[in-house]
Amino acid sequence: MKLQTILYFALFTLPGFALRAQTPMPAPPQQEPILISGGTAHIGNGRVIENSAIIVEEGKITFADAAAILPRRDFTGFRRVDATGKHIYPGLIAPATNLGLVDIGAVRATRDYNETGSINPNVRSIIAYNTDSPIIPTVRSQGILLAQVAPQGGRVPGMSSIVQLDAWNWEDAAYSADDGIFLNWPGLFSYSWRERSFSKNEDYTKEVEELKQFFAEAQAYARLPEPSRTNLRFEAMKPLFTGARRLYIEAEEAKAINHAVHFAREFGISAVIVDGRDAWMVTELLKENNVPVILRETHSLPNRIDSDVDQPFRTPAMLQEAGVLFCFSSDGYWQQRNLAFQAGQAVGYGLSNEDALSALTSNTAKILGIDGRTGTLEADKDANLVICKGDLLDVRSSKVEMALIQGREVSLDNVQKQLYQKYKAKYGE
Amino acid sequence: MKKLLPILCVLMVLGGRALAQETFPFNGVEDHRERYYAFTGATVFTTYDKQVENATLLIRDGRVISVVAAGPVPAGAVEVKAEGKIIYPAFIDLYSSYGMPEPKEEGKRPEQQPQMLSNKEGAYAWNEALKPEFQAHEFFIPNEKSAAEYRKQGFAVVAAHRMDGISRGTSTLVALGDERPHEMIAKEIAAHHLSFSKGTSTQSYPNSLMGIIALLRQTYYDAQWYSTQDKEVNISLAAWNSIQDIPQVFEVGNRLEALRAARLGKEFGKTYIIKGDGDEYQRLEALKATGSAFIIPLNFPKAYDVEDPYDALQVNLEQMKHWELAPANPAKLAAAGIGIALTAEGLEDKKDFLDNLRKAVKNGLSEEAALKALTFTPARLMGAQDQLGSLEPGKWANFFIADGTIFDKDSKVLHTWIKGKAYVHESLDKGYQLGAYELRIGDKTYELTLTGEADKPKMNVQGEDTTSTKVEYNLEDALITLSFKPAEGDGKVRLSGLMEGRRWSGKGQDENGQWVEWSAVYSREAEGEEEAEKEEEEAKPELGNVIYPFTAYGWTDRPRQETFLIKNATVWTNEAEGVLEKADVLIRDGKIAQVATGLNIRGAKIIDAAGKHLTPGIIDEHTHIAVSRSVNEGSQASSAEVRIGDVVNSEDVNIYRQLSGGVTTAQILHGSANPIGGQSAIIKLRWGYAPEEMKFEGADGFIKFALGENVKQSNWGEDNTIRFPQTRMGVEQVFVDHFTRARRYGELKRSGKPYRKDLELEALLEILESKRFITCHSYRQSEINMLMKVAEQFGFRVNTFTHILEGYKVADKMAAHGAGGSSFSDWWAYKYEVMEAIPYNGALMHEQGVTVAFNSDDAEMARRLNQEAAKAVLFGGVSEEDALKFVTLNPAKLLHIDGRVGSIKVGKDADLVIWSDHPLSMYAVAENTFVDGILFFSREEDQKQREAIAAERQRLIQKMLAEKKEGGKTQKAEGKRQYEHYHCDDNEDEAK
Repeated sequence: MKLQTILYFALFTLPGFALRAQTPMPAPPQQEPILISGGTAHIGNGRVIENSAIIVEEGKITFADAAAILPRRDFTGFRRVDATGKHIYPGLIAPATNLGLVDIGAVRATRDYNETGSINPNVRSIIAYNTDSPIIPTVRSQGILLAQVAPQGGRVPGMSSIVQLDAWNWEDAAYSADDGIFLNWPGLFSYSWRERSFSKNEDYTKEVEELKQFFAEAQAYARLPEPSRTNLRFEAMKPLFTGARRLYIEAEEAKAINHAVHFAREFGISAVIVDGRDAWMVTELLKENNVPVILRETHSLPNRIDSDVDQPFRTPAMLQEAGVLFCFSSDGYWQQRNLAFQAGQAVGYGLSNEDALSALTSNTAKILGIDGRTGTLEADKDANLVICKGDLLDVRSSKVEMALIQGREVSLDNVQKQLYQKYKAKYGE
Repeated sequence: MKKLLPILCVLMVLGGRALAQETFPFNGVEDHRERYYAFTGATVFTTYDKQVENATLLIRDGRVISVVAAGPVPAGAVEVKAEGKIIYPAFIDLYSSYGMPEPKEEGKRPEQQPQMLSNKEGAYAWNEALKPEFQAHEFFIPNEKSAAEYRKQGFAVVAAHRMDGISRGTSTLVALGDERPHEMIAKEIAAHHLSFSKGTSTQSYPNSLMGIIALLRQTYYDAQWYSTQDKEVNISLAAWNSIQDIPQVFEVGNRLEALRAARLGKEFGKTYIIKGDGDEYQRLEALKATGSAFIIPLNFPKAYDVEDPYDALQVNLEQMKHWELAPANPAKLAAAGIGIALTAEGLEDKKDFLDNLRKAVKNGLSEEAALKALTFTPARLMGAQDQLGSLEPGKWANFFIADGTIFDKDSKVLHTWIKGKAYVHESLDKGYQLGAYELRIGDKTYELTLTGEADKPKMNVQGEDTTSTKVEYNLEDALITLSFKPAEGDGKVRLSGLMEGRRWSGKGQDENGQWVEWSAVYSREAEGEEEAEKEEEEAKPELGNVIYPFTAYGWTDRPRQETFLIKNATVWTNEAEGVLEKADVLIRDGKIAQVATGLNIRGAKIIDAAGKHLTPGIIDEHTHIAVSRSVNEGSQASSAEVRIGDVVNSEDVNIYRQLSGGVTTAQILHGSANPIGGQSAIIKLRWGYAPEEMKFEGADGFIKFALGENVKQSNWGEDNTIRFPQTRMGVEQVFVDHFTRARRYGELKRSGKPYRKDLELEALLEILESKRFITCHSYRQSEINMLMKVAEQFGFRVNTFTHILEGYKVADKMAAHGAGGSSFSDWWAYKYEVMEAIPYNGALMHEQGVTVAFNSDDAEMARRLNQEAAKAVLFGGVSEEDALKFVTLNPAKLLHIDGRVGSIKVGKDADLVIWSDHPLSMYAVAENTFVDGILFFSREEDQKQREAIAAERQRLIQKMLAEKKEGGKTQKAEGKRQYEHYHCDDNEDEAK
């Protein structure tokens, strides 16, 4: 029996240690400063530094550049991490996901992302965010360290929050609470399963008018110094009109994107297009209006029979080329661990490696309004970073070996690794 | 019941009855009429291809006596002058529900829960959608409103049936007159009608197209068995047997269904008459090979309104091309030598029939072929050509009189005669002539002009002052009233009188109220009348190509086998040689001919693959692409009788998309709605080929089994709590029970005693005899273990566990049993039973000696199975070579086709992929994909395809815009847009 196996058995036969897998314990705040040296640092803004040095102190990056220009100082008391031959990346950010809001898709009791009613700007995803979800550690161990957790369903599903993925409770987890409101733009076409076809949504105008009315009333309310009667929906909407909260508009088709951008402009709201599968058709519009795109899962089929067979794979490169700010996102919750691979796929279809990385890190941070704190490996940013044995974007080698969230070394263990060890032990390996 | 047959035979003889019903009493004195008429001066088409000029058509007692050029009018015959008119044999429509009762649901539809048996009470078929006992003539009631619509389009006879069910019983051939049904029925039992739609049946089975086909197949066997047994009476089976020797008409929804119907018929020696949907030209060759005649509609789509360029994206190339080519469908079928009959069924409005017929003629259908398809062919198909379909002596006097050739867009059907009775739409003689008349009213004289269209001319008067005034008028036969306001005076002139051709006269009151005599006498032709006839000869329209399959990325010319020499590639052989650097592979005659270095082959097309990787084609052990109308027949716990092979859909664009991801072979599996699913089909991705041509030749038969939450219907909401099983305990019992029955069935079969052939048990028996192999959807270790134990109890082995997400927990047992595992690389957490799924599953099973594959079960992921394979390297450290085998050689082994595909070895099929990069890398792009040495996908050809699609769309959009501008009707720009693909657990009712 190998030593590893013996240790494994020893561990799990200790009294009081449940054999049933546990989500790993959140890491304590950073105690000792860390110096990571020798690795290839991918800054997240296009820059790559071979033989780099990164200093992490009190949860922040204080230095990230070539080892050659590392300031002379006393590194006693530093934890030293030799990253020679390895790659260092900013922690990846998963936008627009229901991670933590659902544990088992088919079990209603575990689904917490879709509140009843159509217009719910006041419901807050952060409240339902389950820090103890067994899913989260599996995502984290692939280098995703932050996520924007968003509700779904209805016209205005509610408020999203940005969380860091290593927390005791939702208050700890909150990285940027209530950062935005999600809005599902009315569809121009509706799909009939029975007919297997799309038909014009005859209620489109009505649905848009209803939205306009709601926003207009919310705006008028926001201008009142003291409303005579508190309206929770309007209260939630208020920060939209001052720019303190963003509007994430889900829109797929070119025409809908066009309309949504126009809508946001009319109300003076800073908007982000979510989904944007047709965004490549309206790049000029998006650029002119400074509207970025959280691109829907590109590992998806072209949305029309006649489309280019690789359209979703090529869309990132097309947006990049056109100068539209965009980032990658993944459908679903457990699937977030594959987020980086979409970026890798896009490289095969014309996006540069570093631009692909930006669309997982710095672009995402900009789009979510947290770029002052994270998204790149630069001094003064939170120390959210990943050390990978190989290329994080390529499934062949994306073996994550270490991850820091705000300087805390987070556990890369998860229920799946535990099961793996358990059954390796069963087979005597 | 066996007495039914001879009675039916007698009834089926065509009646040559007298026109009065002998058995009816009458009120008053007898009024017998011979209906003895002579039509003179017309051109008469005696048959679709013979015409007599200046003919005298003589009819009597409802039948044709003779058609003779310039023949005399015998005494006693009424002469009908028809100079300048054309008389055609009246049309016959074989596809109609004329005079039929509305289909109604039997009994009460169950709420939310499945309905396991038929709601029809009595000794009828077990399945509510089988209604062979329905006989249309017993229910036929003439419907004057509907008949009149048909008659105006030139029809005199239809075959009517109730369009409800899979077997719909018989149609009856009836005339469209307004007399008693006794006289209108031309042939009581015309044809047996079948369809791929269960209609009003609320029974759960079948819920899929393959279920419908299986039900029909079983019914053929049951009917054979029924005639040899004495255990039971079954009215439906008896009726089914009694209507097998008459024409069999099968309605289908599209060209592929036509192929499916024909294939089913062939199994039982039937050549159906197929009622198509108008898209037959899209698979013309394959349809011609079926030998079937077709009843085809003229339901040509309207142009799409594509003014908005974004909205136009909703309309796909297939829709656009079909808009252009649909009117050429009849022409293309006729030109191919396929027998066609035309039907008005499927038109939004029957009034459009003649216009659409003219459109078909404009698009290449000869007038002769058109007439044939409306007269001779339908009569012949119903075996009624000795009575109907022409105007030869002795046949029914069914014809229509038109004021010109019926293919001219301005000509009209004036009369339709049915069984010697006239139905007048317009009089043959208008009683007036267009032109100028001298109108005298008292002592005043005007010029009156009658211009414009003959049946609703404009009337004007002009006094001496040359101002022209509109005349209001009204005609009732020869009675005419007219009024106008003359230039002088305040009042109106109002006249009433009688028209006698070119002379009209009568009395009226002038503008002052004075009674005056008036007359109008024809003086000359009206001026400018010719301008109405400017109509220039329209050129035959230019049409785009038919592509195969008929959708974006279809081929005009299918790619062929070539000799290719792939040079300097990194070759992943999957053989003992491992990965070869800078190696050459020769493809010849569809096979891998040589693997070496430094090859030089004369005449071979050289592909330089330096820096690139060559691998065997990807094999997807578990897919649901390329299937029509449901992957699940989930209405019963076992549906072993259904076959995906019956419903392969060769037109699914996902086939092409997957070629772009290097996939060359896939097993299309039944879904996982029930413990014993259906038989699967293994296809090669031969894009552009017909369904039968895509099937992997000689491959072993497989069948889908399933375990766990899907089969116990846990995730189908609060309904669906009736069907057994509802627990994993019950699932085991389903298997034990079915195999016990199959074993007993096998014993009976081998004993030589008579038995009822049961297709469900046949499939299970094949499993027991290791002639059919199981791929079982599975998650939890307990149930995996269970199925292996059941198999061992019955002496066979489970071939493959698919999904098998907890396979890692029982990998040792699987290896010992000999089962393979075809898994997702990393899916989990989507339902309770996958909470312990781990991405290390593949690696762990592999290490225990299980043959491991990674599959897609998903049309999208199938394009990236190489990346999924790489996850076995990432999670669990499988070697890269072994990981690639997870999606190539190992699935080939699991499908028993590794003798032909799965590795790069001389003699194996040339199913190969050239990758731009390491095949397990995210950065790798499949650049060329070969199947059987045919280059089905290449980036260069794909680029050309894209340009061709854009150009063709642009051409068609401009053409549609032009048609709209010219006043053509349009429909909204909406449609299919995306191809709907299936997953394992899609189980909607698609048999409606």
